Amino acid sequence: MREMITGQYIMGDSIIHCLDPRTKLIGCLVVIVVAVWPRQTITILLFNLAFIIIVIYFAEVGVGRVLRGLRSLKLIFLLTFICQVFLTRGDPLWSWGSIVITRQGIDLGINTFLRLLILFLSASLLTMTTSTLKISAGLESLLSPLKYLRFPVQQFAMIINIALRFIPTITEEAEHIVRAQKSRGAQFDSGSLSIRLRTVMALLIPLLAASLQRATDLAWAMESRCYTSDGQIYSRVYKLHFAQRDLIAMGVISIVLLLAIL
Amino acid sequence: MDGRIELIDATKEYKHAGSPPVSALNCVNLSIRQGEFVGMVGLNASGKTTLARMLNGLILPSRGKVLVNGLDTADLAQKKEIRRLVGMVFQNPDNQIINPIVEEEVAFAAENLNLSPAEVRRRVDWALEVSGLADLRHHAPQMLSGGQKQRLAVAAVLVMQPSYLVLDEPTSMLDEDGRYELIKTLQDLNRQQRLSIIMISHRMEEVAPAERIIVLHQGTVYLDGPPAEVFRSPRFALAGLKPPPIARLTNSLLRQGHPIDDRIVTLEQMVEFLCR
Repeated sequence: MREMITGQYIMGDSIIHCLDPRTKLIGCLVVIVVAVWPRQTITILLFNLAFIIIVIYFAEVGVGRVLRGLRSLKLIFLLTFICQVFLTRGDPLWSWGSIVITRQGIDLGINTFLRLLILFLSASLLTMTTSTLKISAGLESLLSPLKYLRFPVQQFAMIINIALRFIPTITEEAEHIVRAQKSRGAQFDSGSLSIRLRTVMALLIPLLAASLQRATDLAWAMESRCYTSDGQIYSRVYKLHFAQRDLIAMGVISIVLLLAIL
Repeated sequence: MDGRIELIDATKEYKHAGSPPVSALNCVNLSIRQGEFVGMVGLNASGKTTLARMLNGLILPSRGKVLVNGLDTADLAQKKEIRRLVGMVFQNPDNQIINPIVEEEVAFAAENLNLSPAEVRRRVDWALEVSGLADLRHHAPQMLSGGQKQRLAVAAVLVMQPSYLVLDEPTSMLDEDGRYELIKTLQDLNRQQRLSIIMISHRMEEVAPAERIIVLHQGTVYLDGPPAEVFRSPRFALAGLKPPPIARLTNSLLRQGHPIDDRIVTLEQMVEFLCR
């Protein structure tokens, strides 16, 4: 048994787990659209964040477990915040030589930080409460009108399914390679920039090779189990079911969207 | 319809730009009956994996043909039926699992066969039951042990109700317990479901309980017969292989003139003989 990776599906029977995947996909999309909407205010973003935290509570997946994933992204969050704070022009609040911190910079820094946080939390929540098969079934259903435009909906849904399925596997593979490289003296956290770049390459190349090998093996295994990429419709054991709770959830999502727009 | 897989002068050559073709299999003639338990052994690059993948049409022969119950693997119209008839389990279970829940993974192949949802459910229940995974049906595959994952890979193929099950070094990533679990499951399937098992392995003690052992060497069938005969053959050592310890013990006792059944190649057979 190994530790769960953030974003990995956690089995459960919470209200959020039981929702139709289409409802969750639409909900996730609404939250993301509201978060990335241009000139979004911090108040709306905080409101959006509060909404997600309430949903995480009802999903019974543990706020701590969701937030644990932020540790690996802390550098991205920090760099984005620092760049926005120091590179945005406006009314100066504090200066030291050519370094100026502006009110607009701080606003934008917080704004961007909140947006990234919302994107991360909403995507994690979706994948933690919905199995990849249900996500792909939901996507297939939502995108089904595109079939008339000859868009390969089933294949697209399968690609998403496999991509989501392999995130934890590739993460685990990367951890193994890092451990193997560290045991041979590789330093990922220290040394000059060129040394660090070389070390990262020593991680990326075997990871890419292993991923390609996995992809080939998976293709053989899928073909062996009669999967064909000709877009043929096959029966699904999992049937989508839009229930009353989904209607209520859609109502809540609509209210969130309206409040954000107004 | 013939209940057998037949390889008729099957040859496979791999072509690489700028270099002469490399022959992986040379004029292989073989017939595997439905219900047989066949072990396939040989050194690395002897052609085992190529041959295994030819059995369900994943690889087509460059020359010759492969017939599965009379269906030619080169006939594209029969591709799906051939893959249904010949299930294939690969070395690394992690690389063949697609879905996040055990029962969804087992259902995948049945869904691809366009069966009704009720039939898919019935087959999933059956496959999980015979693979000993019924209690784990709602678990995430990543949380299973190596042996359980490989049994899941077997269940995911059994759901197609194949006549033949080809396993390409299925125990190489497993610990002792996992290996035992898997071999036991395969033996039960062979006896109770009359499912043909064609198992490739580097471990001779794993293939020793088979009815028949095929030794591949440099792309040809070098030896083919009952385990005791194959392990005793001087050609077995010439192919760079070593018999399992119990077969070596039997041969040693025979050479010293002890009255022992010369067909004994497994520990169970030896225990049974000694207790008699």
